[in-house]
Amino acid sequence: MMSHPSTNTANAGFYAAAGTLLRGLLIIAGFALVWEGCVVFFNIPLYYVPRISAIVSAIFATPQAYVDGFLRTLSETLIGFAAGALVGVFNGVLFSRSRLLRSMVFPLFVVSQTIPVIAFGALVVLWFGNTLLAKAVIAFYLTFFPVTVNTLVGLQAVDPRQIALLRSFGASPMQLLLRLQLPIALPQIFVALRLGSTLSLVGAIVGEWFGDTTGLGVLLLQAMYNENVVALWAAMLASALLGTSFYGMLAYIEHRFVFWKSELA
Amino acid sequence: MLKRRFLVAVTALSALVAGAGMSGAAQSAELTKASLRLKWLPQTQFAGFYVAQAKGYYKAEGIDLTINPGGPNLLTENLVAAGTDTFGLSGGTDSVFAARDKNLPIVSIGVAHQVTPFVFVARKDGPIKTLEDFKGKNITAWFTGANYVLLGMLANKGITADQIKLQPQQVSVTPFVEGSVDVITATWYNELNTIKNRMGADKLRLFVAEDYGISFPRDTLIISEKTAKEKPKLVEAFLRATLRGWKDAIKDQKGAVDTVMKIAPTLERAHQEAMLTEVIRLMKAGDAEKNGLFAIDPKAVVKAHDFLLKYKVISKPVDLNAAFNASFLNAIPLADRLP
Repeated sequence: MMSHPSTNTANAGFYAAAGTLLRGLLIIAGFALVWEGCVVFFNIPLYYVPRISAIVSAIFATPQAYVDGFLRTLSETLIGFAAGALVGVFNGVLFSRSRLLRSMVFPLFVVSQTIPVIAFGALVVLWFGNTLLAKAVIAFYLTFFPVTVNTLVGLQAVDPRQIALLRSFGASPMQLLLRLQLPIALPQIFVALRLGSTLSLVGAIVGEWFGDTTGLGVLLLQAMYNENVVALWAAMLASALLGTSFYGMLAYIEHRFVFWKSELA
Repeated sequence: MLKRRFLVAVTALSALVAGAGMSGAAQSAELTKASLRLKWLPQTQFAGFYVAQAKGYYKAEGIDLTINPGGPNLLTENLVAAGTDTFGLSGGTDSVFAARDKNLPIVSIGVAHQVTPFVFVARKDGPIKTLEDFKGKNITAWFTGANYVLLGMLANKGITADQIKLQPQQVSVTPFVEGSVDVITATWYNELNTIKNRMGADKLRLFVAEDYGISFPRDTLIISEKTAKEKPKLVEAFLRATLRGWKDAIKDQKGAVDTVMKIAPTLERAHQEAMLTEVIRLMKAGDAEKNGLFAIDPKAVVKAHDFLLKYKVISKPVDLNAAFNASFLNAIPLADRLP
């Protein structure tokens, strides 16, 4: 009975995933029910917390605005995140290789992160205008730093004896990096990526506060300043959905591809 | 083949949109690219611009206009001075003075709201009956100009800044509705509607700046000095199209709200309709009756200027002839400007 071990595990994985999904949906449904019930039961005024049914029907009254906003913010987030992740890992590798670069450039990075995004955003609009790129740049700005730091920390955590061993087998620096250092640093890098997933979303949304017509940030801002509380919650739910899905996707990728994480711990 | 047919369709469509008799191709070759930076997100406060855009008035004047919305942290004067945007609808006479004071090379070519667009609101059944009652009370105002208007009003009654508890105003009117703030600042077209809806119009006492001898015309159209010098025809064409858009919006307010709601469908219709009514009232007030929409009333400008100078908001006198230029507007026949 050991003919198809791989199919069995695949099936088990599928059922596990389906189970997680179902459980998640049930939790959300239960949460929505409690929300609706509390608002009705305690007679909470609309401008504190609206009923979730009112929020959902607001979304379905003008679905296109929310779909467009979701997709626009999603693309800004993804572009900024991808650029931030790549540059961050690259920086981390560079810094781990060169002590000089680390002592010269790294402090500049730290300084860059102390500039509030709000101040930085106005400049980005001056430079890039009202483009998708301008928002992606802000998402990038918030993402690349944690990735840089965590990559560096992960790379520095590699046991020097392991490096010495591979060297003795004649491994080139590139081989060392790809076969030993990055794989060991990867769990640490993923910590930063998960952090970056939410930060890049914040960056994209804040970026949209500097003048744009589409995006979840625009919907948030419009609702906020018109004190349209239902629309505000609708935009918040849409942002939460985007953020949670993105985070969940990264966690799934990590779980799937960084299987050696538990062995290192 | 299919692609070609598509192109033909697009060209035909753009000709239709342009509305003029010329062929689409010939016209698009002559269009000048330009952008207008608004002071806020799409709402009926800017209906006339969106109507002019939707009806192709800018295209008919040879302008390929992009309308860029504003945001809470954007200064229209900066964007126009830097050349990021060609035209701007900026804060008001006060922000034009401030920009000139900082040597930003911008010029105002028209003023939308002829009178102060905001009021100070207290509750009718509360302890505040007159301006003198403001003493010792919790008051919030936007620290972008409204605070000076309030202090000026109070100064006329001999009340100084340290006799009231003045705080910068945040987004929400809830602190006022709940009673933790005694006096709040509200624009006629936005916050006041929200407060009326939540408390009832008859529950409010309004303090209007004009009743105390102060007026702050706001929502100023601005361009850079460079544009003023190099492209006077473009500026005139922009104003002509803008005036047409606003006159249409005034005539067909329902249609104007439709146009704006198409761009920002999540807006509340009732709120937007009320906003447009008030905005039109502010635009037709004062000097606009005689001299048309966007008229620059020199008397009002001087008064606002002297007021801000007196309170040291601007460090030195601003050359008003350089800061305000009505010549582009005056080049358009008065009949086309009258609302």
